[in-house]
Amino acid sequence: MSKKVKKVTRYGNSTKERLYLPAILEGLKITTSHLLQNLSDINSVETLEYPEEQPTDITSRYRGLHRLTHRADGTIRCVACFMCATACPAECIDIVATTRDDGVDDKMPLQFNIDTLECIFCGYCVEACPCDAIRMDTGIFSIIGKKREDFILTKDRLLSHKGVFGEEISRA
Amino acid sequence: MSMVVTVGTIVAVVISALLALLMIPILVWLERRVCGLIQDRLGPNRTNIAGFRLGGVVQSFADVIKLVVKEEYYPKHISKHRWLFILSPIITFASALLAFMVIPFADNLRVFDEIIPMQALPVDWGILWYLAIGSVGVIGMIFGGWLSHNKYSLLGALRASSQMISYEVALGLGVATVIMVYGTIDFNSMVHWQSGTLFGVLPAWGVIVQPITALIVIIALFVETNRAPFSVAEGESEIVAGFFTEFTAMKFAMFFMGEYVAMNGASAVIITMFFGGYQLPWLSTADLISNIELIATIATVVIPIILYYFVAWMKKNNSVRVTLSTDGGRSFETKVLSWVLFVMGFLAITALWAVVFSNSKDAISIAVTLIQFCIFVTKLMIFNIFFIVIRWTLPRFRYDQVQMVGWRYLLPLSLVNLFVTALVIVGV
Repeated sequence: MSKKVKKVTRYGNSTKERLYLPAILEGLKITTSHLLQNLSDINSVETLEYPEEQPTDITSRYRGLHRLTHRADGTIRCVACFMCATACPAECIDIVATTRDDGVDDKMPLQFNIDTLECIFCGYCVEACPCDAIRMDTGIFSIIGKKREDFILTKDRLLSHKGVFGEEISRA
Repeated sequence: MSMVVTVGTIVAVVISALLALLMIPILVWLERRVCGLIQDRLGPNRTNIAGFRLGGVVQSFADVIKLVVKEEYYPKHISKHRWLFILSPIITFASALLAFMVIPFADNLRVFDEIIPMQALPVDWGILWYLAIGSVGVIGMIFGGWLSHNKYSLLGALRASSQMISYEVALGLGVATVIMVYGTIDFNSMVHWQSGTLFGVLPAWGVIVQPITALIVIIALFVETNRAPFSVAEGESEIVAGFFTEFTAMKFAMFFMGEYVAMNGASAVIITMFFGGYQLPWLSTADLISNIELIATIATVVIPIILYYFVAWMKKNNSVRVTLSTDGGRSFETKVLSWVLFVMGFLAITALWAVVFSNSKDAISIAVTLIQFCIFVTKLMIFNIFFIVIRWTLPRFRYDQVQMVGWRYLLPLSLVNLFVTALVIVGV
């Protein structure tokens, strides 16, 4: 078995490269060409005129704002098992459980708050949920409020969010 | 001193100060827009006053308001020497501003049998003033860095001072070469020297007579102004923000604006020493005065053409994508600005012809001074944009590389250059 020696070309030792100035001119050529191109036609800049233009490339795997799903009969799917609150690394989910007396199930949340100021949008709550009751498929990427309380998503707000990728009701 | 000289000197001081100060918001804006366009972004283009965004330059004024009303925060340990802490950005800013004051922005104005120098500080040893006052700026940085009681600030201040020491030598030798060639230390005489021609064809600009000196001085002035690729004193990626880490609000703004004033001053010095100052190539002031009729004719043709293309460019680019329904009043702004520009161009041409037909020597002198001022500002803007483009092209040098370039390459090169120039001058 003969040794294979690979010759690696070393750059940066020629006079031209050690002079450094030709490289500067080379770089200037690139930056100025970009500058002049964009200066002559500003709309050739690939960008989004947000907020007038909204992003169109949100995929079904995008983790947007949370929502609570419904059953086929329109009632809340969540059974207040606290799995999501346990899985949450940011501890931003606050659930108060109550008994459910309409015969559909045993338990439901009386209160289901997500503090979006603490939430890190990791999606662990969605993974932990055994009933497909919480999802992040709303496609909402910004939340606006004037005081801290505006950023706490209550149960009603979570239920009012719509999924934008089909599947409206819970699969479980 | 007669009335005319007094008024002329005051006008010169005001114009020079305005040129330095009004350039700050424009340069801050240019820095952002040019950087954005180089990186295929848009840069700030939203801030507006009643729909007038002027390409986004309003953003700079919004920033100034923000910095003025911001909370003045002092670290707790700065109690005894707070006045020095406050003084340090003022030193940096003031020295940069004062260094700019010796630059002639037009030739000496000969009007009503008087000679009015068109520089705020009418001295005939301008280059010495620039070197002396320009170097004082680093004292502010050292005070600021030392008084911050902060390792990063101290490192930044040390870097600023050592950088200054190592490049001041090369700068001094480069300037000495320039002085030997021109035989003067007066900026205005330097510009006069450059208004001639070389071998009958080339303009006798410093950059053509002394290309190596031009290179050395330009590099040294980049270091002097603390601009990238030599911005190791600021060094965000290594030492937070260098010497102004602990400075807030207007104190920070003073350092920030000082940098731009220094950059403006460096551009002015470069064009005065190497690029013919306020003069067009091949045309001296006497040529301009004797050929004012020709110049008025050329202006009558050229100004409308420039305006036409500028308005067409504005119409095309002061717009939003076709996919958007609202343009935020941009077309209205374009219309108003086009009319303002056309009226201004018309007034300029009319004034020029009025001067030509009046045939008064004083009026022609003043018109030529204004033309030279416009040329100076154009060259200044080109060089400021050059400074900005360089900043967004090159990565920052490592600190040891900065020192190595200064001591091991630039210093020997400038020494050899000095000796060769001296030999040529003595020999010829």
